[in-house]
Amino acid sequence: MSALSVRGLHRSVGTTQILRGIDLDVTAGEAIGIIGPSGSGKSSLLRCIAGLDPIAAGSVAVEGRATRPGDGAVGMVFQQFNLWPHLTARQNVALALRLVRKLPAREADARAEAALAQVGLAALAARKPAALSGGQQQRVAIARTLAMEPRVLLFDEPTAALDPELTTEVLDVIRALAAGGTTMLVVSHEMGFVAGLATRVVFLDHGQVVQSGPPAEIFSQRAEPRIQAFLQTYLNRVAWAQA
Amino acid sequence: MMQAFIDSLWATARGLPVTLAIWLAAVVAGMALGFLVGALRFFAPRLVSWPLAALVETVRGVPFLVQCFLLYFGGPFVGIDLSPVMAGFVALSVYGAAYFSEVFRAGFNAVPPGQLEAARLLGLSRPATVWRIMVPVMALGVLPALANLAVILIKETAVLSIITVPELTFRVQGVGTSTFAFAETTLVLALVYWGLVEATAMLARATERRIERALAA
Repeated sequence: MSALSVRGLHRSVGTTQILRGIDLDVTAGEAIGIIGPSGSGKSSLLRCIAGLDPIAAGSVAVEGRATRPGDGAVGMVFQQFNLWPHLTARQNVALALRLVRKLPAREADARAEAALAQVGLAALAARKPAALSGGQQQRVAIARTLAMEPRVLLFDEPTAALDPELTTEVLDVIRALAAGGTTMLVVSHEMGFVAGLATRVVFLDHGQVVQSGPPAEIFSQRAEPRIQAFLQTYLNRVAWAQA
Repeated sequence: MMQAFIDSLWATARGLPVTLAIWLAAVVAGMALGFLVGALRFFAPRLVSWPLAALVETVRGVPFLVQCFLLYFGGPFVGIDLSPVMAGFVALSVYGAAYFSEVFRAGFNAVPPGQLEAARLLGLSRPATVWRIMVPVMALGVLPALANLAVILIKETAVLSIITVPELTFRVQGVGTSTFAFAETTLVLALVYWGLVEATAMLARATERRIERALAA
């Protein structure tokens, strides 16, 4: 049984079709990289899997069961971190452990600190988001999601809101999680990162899967022309930088 | 003339506690009711939120004086027979609630939706999301507007003299009518209200700062 199974997923807003029949099966421990041009439906796909956006047709199942937001099956890390600004890092992580998992305060705090240690932030547990850098905030957000032990972890452009020099610390954390066997879907424009991380890369365009396969296949001359054209824009950027 | 001043001060001493008590009670009740209405208008389906919107618009669109008349003199016709103080308290609470609800609604609207999505995915219940996330997040933003409204409501209590609530204006005007020293008594009244508004505004700012510190620490 697959960890995540997406079948014939359609989503439309008004008359605009955002997702047009997505099929995706993810085995436990897989790290799926999702790439594609702006507006191709990458974020929508994650939001539909998480249950944040309504789907027009099709189904999403985690370990064979339909999910709904808040049932703990799916965890999501957002581009904008979405930490709660009035709570410390520890409180951000512990809140759901206390209110949803009903853990006693002391145990929730201990688990929160363990999750923060996992992302290298044990020392900053008492800080509020405003006193943390963007990269640190995103790592707290990852810890907050991890602490609830979701079956599938979704990353929606986790470094897109960060200054370039702050992306590394976040990417390192995600890489460590993937190496540890966390089942994940990662939407990212960091092509090098995706190529190194993903067991499989899915290329989306206009709400459809154009091609999916191991990174070596997608990031190669054998890939679909549309993918090569898309990747060429990244290569151009490197070329400009080197020129 | 001196006697009119002294009598006015004496009337002030008798009317001030009533003014303060009604004001304080109406601010508390109005804020609570306003929070409820603001929350319902934000969360509830249109079937509930639209009638509430119409109600809020009506209360905001009718002069407070007219509302007082309606409740105090019109109430008995529909079985609502309130004492002047009770009618004053209810009228001021409802009037305040209409404005408070708009502040709270704006506050709910201003909470970044992503922070709510995070709460939803982590499994936080709706009430937990409201109390643990939305209220603290919006507190700093709505606090100045709430304090400002509360201070404005002090001045509205003067209107209650018209339905014979024995508050500040009623008492001091009473001195005016019995001594014919209207100018002197009204001057005292103006100064007392001004002092009262300044004092509560200062108190509100101090409270604001305290809550700010508690939330930002």
